[in-house]
Amino acid sequence: MADAVIVVALLLVAASATVAVATRDPMRQALVLSVLGVVLAVLFTVLQAPDVGLSQLAVCSALTPLLLMLAVRKVRRRGREREGER
Amino acid sequence: MNGWLLAATVGLAGGLGAALWGVATGPLRRRVVAQNLSTALACPSLLLLSQAYNRPSYVDLGLVLALLGPVGTLVFARLLADELAEDPPRAWGLTWTVAGLGAAAVTALCVATGPSRAMVKLLVIGALLISGNAIASRALSGGFRGVRGG
Amino acid sequence: MTRRTRLWVLLTGGAGLAALLVAACLRLPHFGGDRHPYGDRAVHASLTRHTANTVSSVNFDQRAFDTLGEMTILFAAVLGCVVLLRQTRDERRARPEPAEVARPVRRYALLVLPVALLSGLYIVAHGQLSPGGGFQGGVVAATALHLLYLGADYAALERVRPVGMYEVGDALASSAYVVTGIAGLIGGTAFLANTLLPYGTFNTLSSGGTVPLLNAAIGMEVACAVVVLLARFLDQAVEIEEESGR
Repeated sequence: MADAVIVVALLLVAASATVAVATRDPMRQALVLSVLGVVLAVLFTVLQAPDVGLSQLAVCSALTPLLLMLAVRKVRRRGREREGER
Repeated sequence: MNGWLLAATVGLAGGLGAALWGVATGPLRRRVVAQNLSTALACPSLLLLSQAYNRPSYVDLGLVLALLGPVGTLVFARLLADELAEDPPRAWGLTWTVAGLGAAAVTALCVATGPSRAMVKLLVIGALLISGNAIASRALSGGFRGVRGG
Repeated sequence: MTRRTRLWVLLTGGAGLAALLVAACLRLPHFGGDRHPYGDRAVHASLTRHTANTVSSVNFDQRAFDTLGEMTILFAAVLGCVVLLRQTRDERRARPEPAEVARPVRRYALLVLPVALLSGLYIVAHGQLSPGGGFQGGVVAATALHLLYLGADYAALERVRPVGMYEVGDALASSAYVVTGIAGLIGGTAFLANTLLPYGTFNTLSSGGTVPLLNAAIGMEVACAVVVLLARFLDQAVEIEEESGR
């Protein structure tokens, strides 16, 4: 039965990683990456590695989305300013 | 094999699977709601797993997720405020259902743990989880209306 | 080389690598077995040093030198980002616009900020007892500080976050880690050896020798590094804009 949880977690990781690759728009991809982070943390917990799971949660729940979204916003704003000048 | 592990498996497969489908397809308002609910569903699953494996120290993972999960949703709510303002998400029924599931899981765990410091910790995590989930939903549906480029 | 030739070289190399990988994987021990020679030795060493969390013992005691390398990597990465994201001559800094955030969200952010900071410190302090440690707790504490940006606005965050102090804190914490290691040298053993301090009682806060000290140093270093990194990103995204009409 313990194996069933591991299988479920592995399938979820595989599915979210595929969805992350298939999503093209960076802002939507940031949303999928946030879910991928949570699912990875669950996988690490199920494989009895809570330290790594805690690191994954700490980094991927708020920090990575914030960095990604700020970068996308900066790039988009620059693009809009350039178009406005033209 | 015990009931806690079964409950955690069902919660993960059903809840996180549905959240993944929601974040992969559909308009933006569905995706942000799905991201919000993914953390609200993963936290009780982690708490149930800690009971299933009989390792009380795994509860710290639930604590961090209950604290930082809503922060992640607030990041999206703030930085996607313009796009969400045109088409605000309205998913209060779903939010309260998930909150109820979380509360049920925390109550069951508290009953199993018995009165002790561990139970107080579980109650704190439950309170953080439900309040964070509700506030994040509120933020998604129009909490950042006066934010321009900030 | 034409594109075709390159593809053929890739396929040949890939086929050779695949053959080697399959041959190696067939000889691996089964997943989740009972025999863990390295794990047995690591757990035995950590129990001898009265450290309840074996992962922390491996990170900060048995392999403390590797953790020094990882800390240097983080430091260098943040340094690189600071250099890349600095304000250049053709950019100017505009005041961040004040934001109007809904009341419940603002109240939640201000209430949860101290709780999250405290949890970060708790995770750092209990690194040698339960899952956690310097890195995890440092990131949680740094993220908690940015609830002030998410719940209010950037001007509020800037008031409580003098970036210069955090840069100094980052450097100080990195030095503290190295100094703790040098103390081992001076004490007559080896760099970063865990033989100076008493090991304490198992499963209490003051156990494990130098593990709590190194935990604290890494926690402060990671928290300061993450705050500095986010400060640069936020400055670029929120404040700095190009000079118009150049």
